[in-house]
Amino acid sequence: MSAAVMGAPKVPRLRLPQGREALLLITLAVLVAGIGMFSHGAFWSRINLDNLFVSSAITLIPAIGMTVVMLTGGIDVSTGSMLGLTAAIGGSCFAAGWSLAATVPVFLLAGAGLGLVNAVLIIKGKIPPVIATLGTLSIYRMIVFIVLGSNWITQIPPVLTRVFVVDHVLWLPVVALIALGLVIVASLFLRYFRWGRHVYALGNNEEAARLAGIRPERIKLAAYVMLGLLTGFAALLTLGQSPMVQTSTGSGFVLQVIAAVVLGGTSLSGGRGTMAGTLLGTLVVQVVDDGIVLLHIQPFWNGVALGVIILAAIGLSSRRDAGGM
Amino acid sequence: MHASGFDRTRPLLLAAMAVLALAGFAVGHPDILSGANFGSMAVFGVEIGMIALGQTLVISGGDSGIDLSVGAIAGLAQVVLGRLLHADVTWPLAVAVTLGVGLGLGAINALAVTWLRIAPIIATLATLFGYAGLALVLSGGTNIDLTQQSSWFLALGQGHVLGLPFQLIALYLPLLAMFAFLQHGTGYGRALYLTGTNDRAAALAGLRVGRLRGAAYVLCGLTATIAGIVGAARLGTARPDAGMNDNLISIAIVVLGGTGIFGGTGSVVGTALATVVIAIVDYGLSYNDFNPIYQAGVIGVILIGVILVENPVLAWRARRFK
Amino acid sequence: MAPVELKGIVKRFGGVVALDGVDLTLVPGETHALLGENGAGKSTLIRVMTGAIVPDEGSITVGGTPCRFTHPAQASAAGIAAVYQEPMIYPHLSVLENIFAGAEMTGRFGIVRRGAMASVVRPLLEQLDLPASLLVRRMSSLSIGFQQMVLITKALMLNAQVIIFDEPTSILSQAETDRLFVIIERLRRDGRAIVYITHRLDEIRRIASRVTVLTDGRVSGTALTSDLDEAKLLTLMAGKASRDYGKPLRDRAAPAHGKPALRITGLTRAGLYQNVDWDVPAGQVTGVYGLVGSGRSEVALAAFGALRPERGTIALEGRPIAPRDPAEAMRLGIGYLPEDRKLQGIFATKPLEANLTAGTIGRFRARGGRLDFAGLRDEALRLIGHYRIKARDETIGIGTLSGGNQQKALFARWAGQSLKVLILDEPTRGIDIGTKAEIHDFIRDLAAGGLAVVVISSDLPEVLAVSDRIIVMRRGGVIGVAEGAAMNAEAILASAVGADARAA
Repeated sequence: MSAAVMGAPKVPRLRLPQGREALLLITLAVLVAGIGMFSHGAFWSRINLDNLFVSSAITLIPAIGMTVVMLTGGIDVSTGSMLGLTAAIGGSCFAAGWSLAATVPVFLLAGAGLGLVNAVLIIKGKIPPVIATLGTLSIYRMIVFIVLGSNWITQIPPVLTRVFVVDHVLWLPVVALIALGLVIVASLFLRYFRWGRHVYALGNNEEAARLAGIRPERIKLAAYVMLGLLTGFAALLTLGQSPMVQTSTGSGFVLQVIAAVVLGGTSLSGGRGTMAGTLLGTLVVQVVDDGIVLLHIQPFWNGVALGVIILAAIGLSSRRDAGGM
Repeated sequence: MHASGFDRTRPLLLAAMAVLALAGFAVGHPDILSGANFGSMAVFGVEIGMIALGQTLVISGGDSGIDLSVGAIAGLAQVVLGRLLHADVTWPLAVAVTLGVGLGLGAINALAVTWLRIAPIIATLATLFGYAGLALVLSGGTNIDLTQQSSWFLALGQGHVLGLPFQLIALYLPLLAMFAFLQHGTGYGRALYLTGTNDRAAALAGLRVGRLRGAAYVLCGLTATIAGIVGAARLGTARPDAGMNDNLISIAIVVLGGTGIFGGTGSVVGTALATVVIAIVDYGLSYNDFNPIYQAGVIGVILIGVILVENPVLAWRARRFK
Repeated sequence: MAPVELKGIVKRFGGVVALDGVDLTLVPGETHALLGENGAGKSTLIRVMTGAIVPDEGSITVGGTPCRFTHPAQASAAGIAAVYQEPMIYPHLSVLENIFAGAEMTGRFGIVRRGAMASVVRPLLEQLDLPASLLVRRMSSLSIGFQQMVLITKALMLNAQVIIFDEPTSILSQAETDRLFVIIERLRRDGRAIVYITHRLDEIRRIASRVTVLTDGRVSGTALTSDLDEAKLLTLMAGKASRDYGKPLRDRAAPAHGKPALRITGLTRAGLYQNVDWDVPAGQVTGVYGLVGSGRSEVALAAFGALRPERGTIALEGRPIAPRDPAEAMRLGIGYLPEDRKLQGIFATKPLEANLTAGTIGRFRARGGRLDFAGLRDEALRLIGHYRIKARDETIGIGTLSGGNQQKALFARWAGQSLKVLILDEPTRGIDIGTKAEIHDFIRDLAAGGLAVVVISSDLPEVLAVSDRIIVMRRGGVIGVAEGAAMNAEAILASAVGADARAA
């Protein structure tokens, strides 16, 4: 008997962006074309593009970590508070006169540490991820307040802004370049490294993965810690963008991150999603934001547009996926 | 065992916590135990407490049910109400229209979850953006002053009945009674519990799973709207961002009150007790001049603490049950 | 390779003995068929061999060395692999990744060497006549037949010397089955030991050289297939059926041929069932005999509004109906007791009373929209009494009851409603003989009361014991209807397993 009898599966053609990624690419193109046209060139101005890239980078960096966490089937809603708390801790170091070089590790370590706390509560404490991080969301925010009192930290070294935001390499603000680099690294990691593949295996079928000798706990731990680390880095960059820490720094941030990741096609139940999708999702979110400013629409329409886009994008695909009962 | 799977240990734990918290605060400030202070505590707790009632139904319906948009609904409701009042609509009509709008917002959530089949956390995240955005659009991003409105309207949030806050006696307690009746006394409540326990079995037993869950989202929209109206009347202003933290706190209260996030368990009675604990902690902290941010932080600590303590106990029980 | 030997394997779950001293010898180059009813212990035996569960007693030796498997990884290292009926897969990953999940080949820094992995697998694919292009396909985009092929490839990649197939053809098309057999035969000739579990007689004759029959956790017979002619095989398989069937039937004065209550004509849903006709008269029990995957439950679910058919008509008392959901079907008078007690039936953490009345809550309304709790309690107590459910009281959690009592409770949930048609899907699966007999009596009583009852079962003695007529289904279609004298074990079994396929 030959394969032909059964009708061999068709060989896929050249791998083009599929499904959600294609949809996002088209959405993005339409948005950019429309905004470019109706903003009378303001969209393409150097200053606007720089702003757009910097804001995108700051959302994108934690979104990379969030993507991995969601690939394992988890979620972290404490990211905004985490960003606020690392900013407060690192900002305090700046205020105490530490140099940039000495403070950068503080940001990273603080972020990783907070991510570790989440990981331990979820893995060892067996608390569902939503609930555990809901708890740390308010706890971290409280600690921000303990650290800052009612003060603002404004002694952020200008060099931070210059290095990450003002300076350009290859036409891009440094932070955007870093974010892009991280996306590529993460993408390569997920695609080509053993652990990366285990992340997907775990999210697809945790029981099968466990039986195949993969250790889900370790991977989950690494994912939450990584998200914390990247959030710590994003906190540093936030201070580069606007050199001030206050108690509300980072509130509302997590919703943007989750929206970007989900819009990018990462499934909430794990095992499905790509870094390219997250990159595109982030850009759509930020371009909508930017366009609303440029087109002199009341900025408040931003949320409405975002909500409608999420419902439309996900509603369409999940209606299609759902079959029978 | 009751059909709701309501466990008696959690309410006892909560009652003990409430007493302890109260006692703790009373050591520093004995006068916190005065009637007036209890009234203020109630005012603190009523609005979030109402939202938590609706949230309880949503979560107990299973399928990772959750409503993140409650705060945005409360804010949007305030703005709609404010605009109507400023357009010289009489206040009872304005309140009625606002309630209708709230039901509609809840219905959008219901459709997104049951018809579009979007995961509840994502669906209500999207509507959170949408509703909060609409609130800003309708208000122009500024607060709407309502202090000049009819004193009858303002009494919704400032009045007293028998020396106790109007919204506690005339709104919250009746709502609690209604929800408790709905959950434990009616066929709807029974069916929702069964759906939350095993939705495939429920569907094959002839229960309309989608409608049951959808109704929970609609009711949740309604309670958030009422909370928004009360808040507007209490402060004499309609704020588009009124409910900013309500989503997280209401979920924390529900979980703290003993409703499992996997559905099919819990009770609004537990939710009400958890609300009391939160109201005491909240008021006690502010009475001692702590910033409101501590309130949320302490809720977080309590939430995680209770689950960490309870998980091993439940695991032990499950083993014995097997 | 030396043979794998299982000796005196005993496994108990609580008080139930699932395996009671099973001996099994697997010889390289031999396909060994394992037969047995549901609950005979086949799946427990597989799980012991693959290390998913540890036996209480007995020994496993591979090539003379005693082995003790406490984790599946150990069994797969010893060269034992299983291909399950419903493959355990990673749906969103590629075929290559499914094959290597957890066993990736890596180079420096843990970089996955896709090229190397592909070159390892390609010859294996060739061996199985599969195109190499399969490797980049997403697993969820493949048919179940191809998914099975992928798992076989995985077993080969792990260099498995013993490959266990658990009813692999129950969900395959004819072409897929033919292909699988070619592959299995090739694996056998390569010197692997094959364990093949099935219900289908024709398959045993086609591929197995030895047959072992498992009954109630014990080996009730082993024979070479070549020593058995068709009749002997049928007797061996039907042995239990004939024995149980031996007791005299209850008086079945051919019931007045009732009006057709439910009539299904030409019902089709691609891939599940085609052109199915069911004629279900009132006042009778209509048996539907067929194996898992024969489309029997799917047809029932269509009549119950839970699974939309593509073509065909469903008529209730002569009027065409198209229920959109179970609630509507129930209002029309159709009930369905689902197949899977745990997943589709019980509300495990809820009280017995709530479980008994789940389908009729709407009827218990007191004043002011309040549930009529007294009424619910009375109804529950009535059902508990009438169907002799053994429980402390109606408030006890149903999850704490025995399987038989849980099943009785589910049966009572449906039997207690006033319906026109009641479809019972595997009404006695996995419960003890005594309770089984009780339920059979209840089923006859329901029919005697005028209800049109359908009993779907893969348990032949059960179908024979309760039915007035028997519809036999196989591979999504009705292949026969037996009445009166034609209702004998051998004939029905022969048609259901396809032994008569060549004769026809």
